[in-house]
Amino acid sequence: MKHTPSDDLIVWQFDFALTTFFEVETDQFHHHIPSRLSPMEVSPGIGLVNITAFNFPAGGMDGELPEFQELIFSVIVSPDLSRGVPKFAMYVLSLGSTCQEHLDHSADFYKLPIHGLLTDTKINREAIAIDYSDADGQIVAMNNCSPQTNFRDEERYFQAFTSDGDDLTIADCYIEAPLFEHQLTDNAGTLNLHPFLKNIDFDLGDPLPYLQMIGRPGDIGKQFYYRPSKF
Amino acid sequence: MTDFFDKLIQEEPYTQYTLDMFSRSAGKDHAEIKQFAKWRELVTGANKYTFEVPHLGAQTPEISVRRESGDEYDLVSFASYNYLGYSYHPEVIQGAKDALDHYGLGATGSPLLNGTFQIHKELEDGISDFFGQEDYGVSLFSSGYGANLGAISAFIHKGDHVVLDRSSHASLIDGAVLSQGKISLFRHNDAEFLEKVLKRIDYENSRILVCCEGVYSTDGDYGTLRDIIDVSKKYGAAVLVDEAHSLLVAGENGRGVCEEQDVLSEADMIIATFSKSFGGVGGCLYAKKKVTNYINYYARSRMFSCALDPGVTGGLIKAVELAGSADGDDRRKRISENADYLRSKLAGRVDIGTSSSWIIPVIYGDERLTLPLSDYLQKNGIDISLMTFPAVPKNKSRIRAFVTSEHTHEQLDVGAEAILKAAEEYNFLTE
Ligand SMILES: Cc1ncc(COP(=O)(O)O)c(C=O)c1O
Repeated sequence: MKHTPSDDLIVWQFDFALTTFFEVETDQFHHHIPSRLSPMEVSPGIGLVNITAFNFPAGGMDGELPEFQELIFSVIVSPDLSRGVPKFAMYVLSLGSTCQEHLDHSADFYKLPIHGLLTDTKINREAIAIDYSDADGQIVAMNNCSPQTNFRDEERYFQAFTSDGDDLTIADCYIEAPLFEHQLTDNAGTLNLHPFLKNIDFDLGDPLPYLQMIGRPGDIGKQFYYRPSKF
Repeated sequence: MTDFFDKLIQEEPYTQYTLDMFSRSAGKDHAEIKQFAKWRELVTGANKYTFEVPHLGAQTPEISVRRESGDEYDLVSFASYNYLGYSYHPEVIQGAKDALDHYGLGATGSPLLNGTFQIHKELEDGISDFFGQEDYGVSLFSSGYGANLGAISAFIHKGDHVVLDRSSHASLIDGAVLSQGKISLFRHNDAEFLEKVLKRIDYENSRILVCCEGVYSTDGDYGTLRDIIDVSKKYGAAVLVDEAHSLLVAGENGRGVCEEQDVLSEADMIIATFSKSFGGVGGCLYAKKKVTNYINYYARSRMFSCALDPGVTGGLIKAVELAGSADGDDRRKRISENADYLRSKLAGRVDIGTSSSWIIPVIYGDERLTLPLSDYLQKNGIDISLMTFPAVPKNKSRIRAFVTSEHTHEQLDVGAEAILKAAEEYNFLTE
């Protein structure tokens, strides 16, 4: 899709992306999402949450931002197909970043729910793994769990719902990058009982990944993330 | 490969969508219906719509089909569950005709009220005799789906637990949902994982039903029933075994994987469907008589749905009789030989996973190949079932060949050749 520059579009460049969808009992997070949205379930009672870690090189937002790391925690919900057919739609529950300016902007422009500053962010590009913490301790350690990778360069369309006070908003987001997707169910890391992850107990279920999407480390990918509108 | 898929998506844009993407939409409008209609139009416009293709005759190994475009194809069929060929057996058809003449077309009533005919009792007795266990009974349903729905939801209620193998058929899952019991899953065929799940439940005070299958149609592998039953019993859980793909076929006498693994008297409920090896339609629960008597009253899918139609019932009686005779022994031997024959033609050249039964998957991987591949296989002479994401994991999409006792070696050769040719064309040869 052609993305025309405008005040409603910010193009973010990233050089590291690791995202994992985990299966969690829907009961554990249902109360965090607005009643107009319904969680997508892989089987009755088993929903999906998504944890995405990015590294953004310096130069974001017209050169204003330094290099920073971001962590997003969301629940997969039914998309709004009247806007198009996305791969997934998420309702965002927490955003963390190592850059305060980025957090402020995200709250203002994208209406994202800010959890706070990340204090320790390790990225292992070779292993395609991350280990992110904040003031409350380690949030997540996450790694690619597929022995083989097969990156495909194509655009993927997503939708992001957020709450803006009592309103619900929706934003279109396109990722253009060489990505690798797989559904191998091996050990994909550690998810802690942590406020960033809404204190969900991942050990209660089968804590294995449902799906991983991985950017080719080192390659610059683009995220075309539009301003949200009222849903 | 990337170039290949870029080209594919450019030329056949519908291949980038999987069916789950249209499953539902947020918002007031039914945007999913509009988007699905658009997608379906694209696929039919390209004459690549290979679902719901009408067959022009019986489910024999050689069939003719007509696509929406009007194109007709003569095919060797590997897509039907008519494992023993009973759907077109002359004695089965005669049994159906006789019952139809005598009882008319429909049962026109719930089995519990006015829809039970003498011929239903004969089928129940036939199935009980086939299993040959004392004090066991049969509860008939008008589909296998209905049997799972009814049996599970009558047995389990709010506050109870249903623990299912992750590869369980939708009818088991839907039965669990209808029951309103708490649903948990265990890793496929993994009794150790099942034990972990059971330990988490207050098993001393809770009613638990563990559900598994005799043969799983996704991978064509056998259920590890012995281990699953042993673990379940340790925690006081009842076990339901769905023998949809295995009854009449597996076991020395056709009594399913339960017979083969010597757990017939330990499985608390066995589900059969009549739509596969029996060659008809309908299903049943086989369990201790006091259980089936109870289920007859309290299974909502039985109570509030019409009884099996008499014609089919007459045919089924004959199919069970044949399956329990030397005819059944011959067919069981042939299907097993045929499956081994086809497997030997494919093994090592394409990925056939863990199949050890008459269901042979061939994993082609990328879900975007599904529609073009299905079209290709039909145009190259075979009717075969494709299974794709999200029913199976990403990059694990597969062709599934359902072998029957009635295939000849020549027909199996046609199947193997078409699959291998497709594997070459679509790059999923493993050698
Ligand atoms: C394991 C299993 N159980 C139940 C069913 C439902 O059977 P029926 O076609 O009789 O509704 C199927 C059908 O595919 C099945 O595979």
